[in-house]
Amino acid sequence: MVEEENIRVVRCGGSELNFRRAVFSADSKYIFCVSGDFVKVYSTVTEECVHILHGHRNLVTGIQLNPNNHLQLYSCSLDGTIKLWDYIDGILIKTFIVGCKLHALFTVAQAEDSVFAIVNKEKPDIFQLVSVKLPKSSSQEVEAKELSFVLDYINQSPKCIAFGNEGVYVAAVREFYLSVYFFKKKTTSRFTLSSSRNKKHAKNNFTCVACHPTEDCIASGHMDGKIRLWRNFYDDKKYTYTCLHWHHDMVMDLAFSVTGTSLLSGGRESVLVEWRDATEKNKEFLPRLGATIEHISVSPAGDLFCTSHSDNKIIIIHRNLEASAVIQGLVKDRSIFTGLMIDPRTKALVLNGKPGHLQFYSLQSDKQLYNLDIIQQEYINDYGLIQIELTKAAFGCFGNWLATVEQRQEKETELELQMKLWMYNKKTQGFILNTKINMPHEDCITALCFCNAEKSEQPTLVTASKDGYFKVWILTDDSDIYKKAVGWTCDFVGSYHKYQATNCCFSEDGSLLAVSFEEIVTIWDSVTWELKCTFCQRAGKIRHLCFGRLTCSKYLLGATENGILCCWNLLSCALEWNAKLNVRVMEPDPNSENIAAISQSSVGSDLFVFKPSEPRPLYIQKGISREEVQWGVFVPRDVPESFTSEAYQWLNRSQFYFLTKSQSLLTFSTKSPEEKLTPTSKQLLAEESLPTTPFYFILGKHRQHQDEKLNETLENELVQLPLTENIPAVSELLHTPAHVLPSAAFLCSMFVNSLLLSKETKSAKEIPEDVDMEEEKESEDSDEENDFIEKVQDTNNTGLGEDIIHQLSKSEEKELRKFRKIDYSWIAAL
Amino acid sequence: MGEFKVHRVRFFNYVPSGIRCVAYNNQSNRLAVSRTDGTVEVYNLSANYFQEKFFPGHESRATEALCWAEGQRLFSAGLNGEIMEYDLQALNIKYAVDAFGGPIWSMAASPSGSQLLVGCEDGSVKLFQITPDKIQFERNFDRQKSRILSLSWHPSGTHIAAGSIDYISVFDVKSGSAVHKMIVDRQYMGVSKRKCIVWGVAFLSDGTVISVDSAGKVQFWDSATGTLVKSHLIANADVQSIAVAEQEDSFVVGTAEGTVFHFQLVPVTSNSSEKQWVRTKPFQHHTHDVRTVAHSPTALISGGTDTHLVIRPLMEKVEVKNYDAALRKITFPHRRLISCSKKRQLLLFQFAHHLELWRLGSTVATGTVEAMCLLAVSSDGNWLAASGTSAGVHVYNVKQLKLHCTVPAYNFPVTAMAIAPNTNNLVIAHSDQQVFEYSIPDKQYTDWSRTVQKQGFHHLWLQRDTPITHISFHPKRPMHILLHDAYMFCIIDKSLPLPNDKTLLYNPFPPTNESDVVRRRTAHAFKISKIYKPLLFMDLLDERTLVAVERPLDDIIAQLPPPIKKKKFGT
Repeated sequence: MVEEENIRVVRCGGSELNFRRAVFSADSKYIFCVSGDFVKVYSTVTEECVHILHGHRNLVTGIQLNPNNHLQLYSCSLDGTIKLWDYIDGILIKTFIVGCKLHALFTVAQAEDSVFAIVNKEKPDIFQLVSVKLPKSSSQEVEAKELSFVLDYINQSPKCIAFGNEGVYVAAVREFYLSVYFFKKKTTSRFTLSSSRNKKHAKNNFTCVACHPTEDCIASGHMDGKIRLWRNFYDDKKYTYTCLHWHHDMVMDLAFSVTGTSLLSGGRESVLVEWRDATEKNKEFLPRLGATIEHISVSPAGDLFCTSHSDNKIIIIHRNLEASAVIQGLVKDRSIFTGLMIDPRTKALVLNGKPGHLQFYSLQSDKQLYNLDIIQQEYINDYGLIQIELTKAAFGCFGNWLATVEQRQEKETELELQMKLWMYNKKTQGFILNTKINMPHEDCITALCFCNAEKSEQPTLVTASKDGYFKVWILTDDSDIYKKAVGWTCDFVGSYHKYQATNCCFSEDGSLLAVSFEEIVTIWDSVTWELKCTFCQRAGKIRHLCFGRLTCSKYLLGATENGILCCWNLLSCALEWNAKLNVRVMEPDPNSENIAAISQSSVGSDLFVFKPSEPRPLYIQKGISREEVQWGVFVPRDVPESFTSEAYQWLNRSQFYFLTKSQSLLTFSTKSPEEKLTPTSKQLLAEESLPTTPFYFILGKHRQHQDEKLNETLENELVQLPLTENIPAVSELLHTPAHVLPSAAFLCSMFVNSLLLSKETKSAKEIPEDVDMEEEKESEDSDEENDFIEKVQDTNNTGLGEDIIHQLSKSEEKELRKFRKIDYSWIAAL
Repeated sequence: MGEFKVHRVRFFNYVPSGIRCVAYNNQSNRLAVSRTDGTVEVYNLSANYFQEKFFPGHESRATEALCWAEGQRLFSAGLNGEIMEYDLQALNIKYAVDAFGGPIWSMAASPSGSQLLVGCEDGSVKLFQITPDKIQFERNFDRQKSRILSLSWHPSGTHIAAGSIDYISVFDVKSGSAVHKMIVDRQYMGVSKRKCIVWGVAFLSDGTVISVDSAGKVQFWDSATGTLVKSHLIANADVQSIAVAEQEDSFVVGTAEGTVFHFQLVPVTSNSSEKQWVRTKPFQHHTHDVRTVAHSPTALISGGTDTHLVIRPLMEKVEVKNYDAALRKITFPHRRLISCSKKRQLLLFQFAHHLELWRLGSTVATGTVEAMCLLAVSSDGNWLAASGTSAGVHVYNVKQLKLHCTVPAYNFPVTAMAIAPNTNNLVIAHSDQQVFEYSIPDKQYTDWSRTVQKQGFHHLWLQRDTPITHISFHPKRPMHILLHDAYMFCIIDKSLPLPNDKTLLYNPFPPTNESDVVRRRTAHAFKISKIYKPLLFMDLLDERTLVAVERPLDDIIAQLPPPIKKKKFGT
């Protein structure tokens, strides 16, 4: 059933939610934000992603509600199209082909048949504001080539353009001047800030602009943190402005409330400031928002604000300045030191998040699960300050332990180093700090690894450092009279000729430890800590080191800086093979023998998948990314795929994710991107995908019990009115969008019929079945995709081959579903 | 140019008094300023902001209010309960009338200029009729409970607003009774103050009353209904003064934090007639309380405890962006306060109420109490040049005791003059920074002066802020004229070519290591030194010795009361 398409590199979520201002729906129920090539529709109440609008072929650069129909949404993209969506159903209504790259979109209620967009036609750096006439046509794809020019030499960012007072004028800022174009008079006024030239350090560049909704007042934000409120700007001479100054750093965005009584501003301080009545003394704050405020938007109903932050987060804020919901994507604010890891418990991707935090990011639902505060210190947001950085992290003992290393180096000789060990607490379902070790080494820690062997009794951790030592830390009894407290202590310190220890790695069974000292690899017995043997290839410092797994566990792989990949046989203590490959990332698959290596060349990055036992790679894909790939990780699949083709078999058990220098998270897939991302709402309905948590044991059983009860009652009294929401005709009537419904006369008979009790003898078993199906249908938009998921689940649970499923009849399917339920009850009982 | 031994004098312990009131006269474009010691000064804004007239004050005559009435008549009132009129010709006090209401806190002249209103300590508002040579008490208005701190006439003259403690009263002028009493909120934004003092009120022609008070608020009231329309909290300290422009499209307030705020009436949208008052720009030119503000058609004028008079032109009202559009800060009097005896090496310092005589080289000080003198003229031989306040200069022959000649009239007042020792050339500096040389024996301008006038002064020379206050000569070098203002000391060498606008005016004294050729090529007549500032006096003691009297601003500020402490970000 899975077609053997070509493997493609696909972006897998984690795209920027904060690229543009978010837009609220007219009733404030939904919030829209651009996310890579898609537009995401979130519920403002539940924070869940309701729809993903896909259709654009390049980055979406702007979204706006259709001012003439507030149930529709315009979006524009770098692919040169403007698309009109029905966001409630997630349907693309129309596509307007403009033909040149669109960088931002604006709509004005007064200009009925046209929208405004930022384009750059000739030179790459010169942007223009144009008005695009949208022709009225019934066809799906319409060419909209009628552009009329409004303003030239404007800033690319849509924050620097604002339409004011019902579209009477448009204000644009760039560098040191503000230009205001009046549509009726067709004149432009331009105001230049003079002090920019006089004073040496006056940084009063314009950064953003907003217009008062009813009055002729333009608010502009500046580099030095000032906000200027311009008035009387139709007169070149009599214009005047008021200064509001609270921000100490650049004002990132400004927004007026719907009535215009207050002005919102935000910046690097991560504080939302509300200026009431536009007076300096009357202001309110919402502090501690976590990261730089990039955008501010206001709902048309006026009850909600929202701020987009540099850590890829959208906070929905109530009118009384209380944060009500947080939509958090993958934090991509800062550089990734820890690399990509998989939390063995939640299967979440773990990496550096907010400053001083580890983020747990769910790859399936494309959202952040939670943040773990590692450094536990107030983050002072100031440019040029040297911060404590979380540099290393590792999970051990099936997710029971987490080791983190943080460091801060102000000068060459002043290193602050700290290692923390965190224990997973089942009660609180989180990590709790167990041991804190100050200065575990004299110099930077280069590698950190746990012994993850299944049989090992004592958790063991090895750290390698530039100071020439590797240290073995073990969990020991802490001097507690109840013998309950445990802590980590150093067990062994090893070194090799004072070389810097650069990597360390445990073999799969935990019996051997490999530590690389610059060019030399040493193998240590993990029981006695004896040096067993050394390998030296004199091919440059070892950059990556890993043991083979499963059948290939006798091999040790090392990649050097000089571009040599070596494979040693641990039994013969000899070099098995080597290859010339400039390896940037080397990751073993935990579920197979496969090892993925990404090499870097001047053209781009190439992927090689191989088994240590044979030097010939299983799979090669060239040019996976133009930029440098920094980290990669294998993520075990919940449901194994079954690629029959030999080249793709490496993707059966695990999926490979990698992170490029510009922090885009990519993976390999054969499916189209539409299939890849399934909204969480759909997944929630697939009962089978619920994890077997204690919560499930309670609720899952309870529900089944209820179902059984229902069955019984139905058997007892057949003459019982079905619940209205369970009637298919009713639900169809209520959930189908109005514009696709047939006439009411047609529906009426169907509706009445549905209320009647049918004379057909319904088996008691069939009714709950229907109920079940309808329930699923209720919140599903396309049944096909969901069916697909279910089928996959079925294969998993029943162990049936995929070919059989293809030929399943409906009755058989029903049988299967029943089987599925029975199946689960006994699993739960285990 | 030669080198000098310099007596750098910093012991002139001169502290100007804080400014209490300013009053702007639109007809003559003059500004009257009164200080806390009772001194009243009149500045001519047309003549390059020159301090034209000066009435020495006395502590018993401390002024609380100052106003122009009936055109050019200047009145003041003070805590001694008297209303005084100044004689601007004779430069003395014409008369003083007791208002019999205790200390007077406020005074306002009616829009027609024929009536004078004073607010007294006992809560009474008294109306005086201005007669051609005196003022006459007319009647009392309804007496209020507490002192009247501020008064303002409605432009039609039918109503007045009076600010008191905790409330504002609106009076009907005809009946003299209070029409409305508007209670000012003591609390604002949770900050509780014991009493809310209404420091200033302004009555606009549309019936709006603007009040400023000690809680830091600027409030707009509707005088017809007696209700509060809008409130702006602008400061954490008192707002002490308010002045409205004549067109009523902008006003200015001064706060105790030293900030001056400008409010403007701007239309809400371009196509509607609705207008709103908006606080536009803050100006922080003062360190201490801004006790008083004035609004001329083109500038905002403010003064306060820190003794500076600041004139801030409004850019949007200035037609041409020339030097007149620059900010002015007047700190020192435009007179010479120091004289020097060359032979005996003595310095005479003139203070407000006493003189100090210092001997250079020793530290013996003697003081005598004496009245003040006006601008005086000295001569070397038998000539005497005299200049009144009205720009003309007369030269008298002392021996014959008769008028020798009159220097051709010039529009701008004389700031300093001196007669050269040998040639008997009279050098005159005017407030517009022009310098003339007039030969007394020949009764005409010298050739050098004519060439200077023909070529014109360097534009930077004309753009200096302060007038020349002293001129002297080198006894051995007749071609040199020494003169100075508060920020520079200049030696004009008449033998060298004059600078044109392209040459560098403020070149330092040429460094000695440069070759003579270069020095000669770049040399021009004006040798300017800015080493000493603020410079109050500089003169030659003998050929090789200079005496320079400085008064650093920091020393003055150190003697003022401490300003209101404000939190500064990052400290």
